[in-house]
Amino acid sequence: MAKYAMVINQERCMGCAACSIACKNENNVGDGKFWSHYIMETTGSFPDIRQNYISTLCNHCENPPCEAACPTTPKSMYQKADGIVMHDEEVCIGCRACENACPYGVIYYNEEEPFQRYREGEGAEVTERVGGEHFPYYNPDRAATYAGVRRANKVEKCTFCDHRVYNGEDPYCVVACPAVARTFGDLDDPDSEVSRLLAENDHFVLKPEEGTNPKVYYIKKYDVKE
Amino acid sequence: MKITRRNFLEGAAVLGFGAFVYDQGRRRRMETLQADEDPTRTEEIGELVSGEWRPTGCLGCTSWCAKEVYVVDGRAIKVHGHPDSKVHGSADCPRAHLAIQQVYDPDRIKQPMIRTNPNKGIDEDPMFEPISWDDAMDLFADKIMELRDNDETHKFGLFRGRYTNINGLLYGNLPKIIGSPNNISHSSICAEAEKFGPYYTQGYWNYRDYDVRNTKYMICWGVDPLNSNRQVSHYLNVFGELLENGVQIATVDPKHSSTAAKSHVWMPVKPGQDGALAVAMAHVILTEGLWSREFVGEFNDGGNHFVAGETIDEGDFNEVHTNGIIKWWNLELKDRTPEWAEEIAGVDAATIRKVATDFGNAAPEALVFMGGGSNMQIRGGYNSMAVHALNGLVGSAEHEGGTITGRSAKLGSFTDPAEFMDEIAQRNSGKQKIDQRGYKNLPALKDGKSGGGVVTNRVADAILAEDPYLPKVMIGYFCNFNYSCPEGERWNRAMEKIEFFAHCVTHYSEMSHFADLLLPSTHHMFEQMSSAAQKGNGYTHLWIGERLIDPVFDAKNPESELPWMLAEKLEEKGFSNLMDYLKTFSDPETGAEPTDGMELETNCFKILTEPIWNPVKYEETENQGTKYNSWDEFLDAGIWNSDAYEFRKLWSNMPTATGKFEFYSETLKNALQEHADKHETDIDDILATCNYDVTGERAFVPHYEEPFMLGEESAYPFTFVDAKARLAREGRSSNCSWFQDFKDVDPGDIKWGDSIKMNPEDADRLGLEDGDMVKITSPSGEATATLKTWIALRPGTVQKNFGQGHWAMGHVAAEDYEGRKARGSNNNDLLGAEYERLSGSTAFYGSFRVNIERA
Repeated sequence: MAKYAMVINQERCMGCAACSIACKNENNVGDGKFWSHYIMETTGSFPDIRQNYISTLCNHCENPPCEAACPTTPKSMYQKADGIVMHDEEVCIGCRACENACPYGVIYYNEEEPFQRYREGEGAEVTERVGGEHFPYYNPDRAATYAGVRRANKVEKCTFCDHRVYNGEDPYCVVACPAVARTFGDLDDPDSEVSRLLAENDHFVLKPEEGTNPKVYYIKKYDVKE
Repeated sequence: MKITRRNFLEGAAVLGFGAFVYDQGRRRRMETLQADEDPTRTEEIGELVSGEWRPTGCLGCTSWCAKEVYVVDGRAIKVHGHPDSKVHGSADCPRAHLAIQQVYDPDRIKQPMIRTNPNKGIDEDPMFEPISWDDAMDLFADKIMELRDNDETHKFGLFRGRYTNINGLLYGNLPKIIGSPNNISHSSICAEAEKFGPYYTQGYWNYRDYDVRNTKYMICWGVDPLNSNRQVSHYLNVFGELLENGVQIATVDPKHSSTAAKSHVWMPVKPGQDGALAVAMAHVILTEGLWSREFVGEFNDGGNHFVAGETIDEGDFNEVHTNGIIKWWNLELKDRTPEWAEEIAGVDAATIRKVATDFGNAAPEALVFMGGGSNMQIRGGYNSMAVHALNGLVGSAEHEGGTITGRSAKLGSFTDPAEFMDEIAQRNSGKQKIDQRGYKNLPALKDGKSGGGVVTNRVADAILAEDPYLPKVMIGYFCNFNYSCPEGERWNRAMEKIEFFAHCVTHYSEMSHFADLLLPSTHHMFEQMSSAAQKGNGYTHLWIGERLIDPVFDAKNPESELPWMLAEKLEEKGFSNLMDYLKTFSDPETGAEPTDGMELETNCFKILTEPIWNPVKYEETENQGTKYNSWDEFLDAGIWNSDAYEFRKLWSNMPTATGKFEFYSETLKNALQEHADKHETDIDDILATCNYDVTGERAFVPHYEEPFMLGEESAYPFTFVDAKARLAREGRSSNCSWFQDFKDVDPGDIKWGDSIKMNPEDADRLGLEDGDMVKITSPSGEATATLKTWIALRPGTVQKNFGQGHWAMGHVAAEDYEGRKARGSNNNDLLGAEYERLSGSTAFYGSFRVNIERA
């Protein structure tokens, strides 16, 4: 069984957010929800400035607090044998316990049905004319393993694009990154690119003190100034 | 029972739900895999849908990337870079994705509409009502026939914003056949000053390409290639490789840009002071003996006599591929030490010296990548020359690892319209264009000619002043000058005066508000055939895309279907010249005349690209790159790539007056002299009229000019730094929710909002805090925005990105669309309508002061 992980090369990352926009596109993520996002920080004092940009997404933790907090049976948030922390939207009761437990803030809750703009008025007419369920550019691939669009009173988050991974494709953020900053693969395979990158580079994870053992790793630094 | 968060929290039962029906892969063949360690949980893994990646391209900015679009069941779902492009490969800039939201935007114009309220004004409701395409074009043709009947066809005009390769028909030739000189492009609100320097040094009026893969040192000057200019997909892709390979990068920009974060050195030049920095670097390169012996030449005695403050005898230096190095030194550079520049430019002398020295040592594999920031300034023309001239000094112009001009695809041409221009058309199309180009105070010296280039933003003033005359019937496409030009308020008043205006665009916009006819345009990327060429990475690609989806609404291609429909109507009314002309656009394969606008569309692209896909023409035109055997084969591939660039072919073969790279520009001298002669005056007078303070011989060398600022410092204490929002798609994407959701990808900006950034020291002094609403005032207007403190900005400057401030584009872009209330504000409401007059370029940078106070 694989142990999936992602390595983000901060030096290669150009801070453009193509990953995050493409993620919405691939996963039918509504406005205001971010399966993929970023933290931007500017530090120093003029003119000695450093900019930082850290891509964020579900860390697919080895010890996922979201799973621990999930009260349903079976768990709505649960870790699979390959390390992907998956969400079962059918079982989810929208209690938001996972959202509160996640130290990374990468779980989002739908207060209302997403894609409201396409559910009424002229937007609905466009969807009806064009097809595509829910909204005109709806990606049916997402529904291969999960709800194509998550409904009101449910949470949602990154699944490492499991629907693509199980079909032999990389997660869409990896493919869409124009800077080739992201590598996805199997930590159990010592010859995999992710294993090699981690072996050859100093790396860090977000909030190691939480003891979650994230599976999203970062190497090198974003701002290249001394 | 519906289990909700509330009743869960209240202690209700938490078991026994899950009976909802979801949209799990209704259309797919399913297979079941056991992928879970929990034996009780069975998961179905569906296959991915079988769509098709089909070629097209993106005109969301001047990068003009080749794309592929994923089409599933007739819907466009995703976009990525065309993997076969030698310019950028499959790399895809972030804003390309937004095109998907543009094409399916419910706020698009859905059918032709006619204005029923004859009163035009910002506060007038145009009261648009649906009209058929047939009636709309009938009305438009009536208006043109009226001009023809009254012998005032020159009062017809066409505005072009963005465009495809076939624009030569609508933009180039249609106005001529009707009888008008007035085809007005957007070019001078884009980059003309940026082209001015390369033209008046090396005879190239165009964007350059940069051989970054072979360079050792790169200076990004007034340009943010990871963000907005140019070939962003390529630079996003290649930058990591450059860093890994040890390429040294310096960025010159008043703000800490996206590229500055990826640079080893940030030189935060004071706005408008780029010229001081450039001439000081040139001074260092010469005094340190780092100029190119091969390209520039050497002293007769082989030594280095460039000593600060000392003049040199021209006869002592033997120049090779350049002209006037000693004149430049004597007239300008000898006193321009880094110490002189330090206070003026705001960059310490040691940094100037180090960057110039490292650059010179790395040369000739060293380049200055120049963008509009350093030169689209009121006095930016000479900055453009000075910055670009550094490439000449170190011999990197046209050299491996340097700045290059790129090679173009040789394309077919459309039928010459001359023989379809009747006597009225010939006479009236020779009249003065309405943008006042070539007037004494607007030389617009494109390609070395007085009035050679467009002065886009001047048209509003010209209309208001009716000088040279008041146009009556106009059409605009893929443009929104009321929003995209500084001081758009003038455009509002000007467009009120136009008797009849048709606007052919995808979205209603600020300019549409003054239209008599709204004509829905197809989206270039998906709904029409489309093609454009662009260079980058040492190659030029030319992409072509078919209609990938049915137009979502009743939209037509403005560049082909629209002229066809107009021609039909004009023919019905007794003027058949346009239709006669269009019928010459025969299919190059079958010889068949077009019989409708769709066939015209195909034929236009087929004619234009014939030297690419027809092997016989390919040989004749000496195209060099991908070879195709047929139109179908080319269309199927969707992309042509040139062979790699050939370096140094232009050395001593430059299209300048001397054939050399000119540090002393005989080419500029000739152009200025021609313009001065035309206005019966001398060059000094012309330069003074154009807001320059130079006189005499220094006018012909790159030299320092103190910035010309609009607004007194006492009343407007902050210098304003404009930049383009990363996802702006040239101001057209703010009705996409992804633009708003990711607005904060511009460092310091805020989602779904608009901020102006200020150094915290200044904010403290003014008693302002992060998040305060502030009023920004300039001599020409005011705006409001949310204040954000940002340390990556020089005290005394404020920075705001262009992209918000649409009140007319739709429900997402506007805060209150029905109430015509914009989300945020438009930078162009703060910038005065001024020009770098020698190029005709509108000034956007380094020329503006503002005041900030709590709103």
